[in-house]
Amino acid sequence: MHMHKFEKIWLIFGVGALLVFLSVLGVSAFYLGNQPPSCLATIDQEKVDTLPPFNEPGLKKVEGKDWDYELIFVAAAFAYTPGEVEVPLGAKVKVIATTKDVIHGFQVAGTNINMMLEPGYISEYVTTFDKAGEYLILCNEYCGMGHHMMTSKIEVVE
Amino acid sequence: MAQPQLHKKTNSKLEETNSLKGTLASVILLGFFIIFTWVGVYFLFLDRF
Ligand SMILES: [Cu+2]
Repeated sequence: MHMHKFEKIWLIFGVGALLVFLSVLGVSAFYLGNQPPSCLATIDQEKVDTLPPFNEPGLKKVEGKDWDYELIFVAAAFAYTPGEVEVPLGAKVKVIATTKDVIHGFQVAGTNINMMLEPGYISEYVTTFDKAGEYLILCNEYCGMGHHMMTSKIEVVE
Repeated sequence: MAQPQLHKKTNSKLEETNSLKGTLASVILLGFFIIFTWVGVYFLFLDRF
């Protein structure tokens, strides 16, 4: 089959770029162990308030784990519990969140923490809070009349 | 008959559209734009916590 020289160039270019993108994705998933925030962990959505860790929302120090703190959030129309929380600068934290009613979002503006909270599922994200400041948490999944007022706040303090 | 006329037209147009220089330039430009934005977003991701 005859193929123009230029056609070969951009085909190689395209296939090469695709291979690079897929390798980065593969290394991230299979070598670094990155996964979606909600990965198979489930919970009875009716009993969220009574089940650990969600019976005690907020920041908790933990021992013997890969992270130093666990930050527990419960979302329900139209608020997060806790409504405000302080995290020490440089702390390695596992953010664990779920919802009691409908689908909510959990986006910490200006960071990589951005999860969907689905009824019956637990969403988790491990990160190191290495920049001080005030971070707004907001719901980015439309959840009803009060959706635009659904916020919380994380303060990273020294 | 209408058919001989059809053959005439296709021959002259073929040579004008044969150069792919412009196409190559636009494909490369688009390719670099996609790579540039992808890398930009990737470094933003690495920079944030
Ligand atoms: Cu919401």
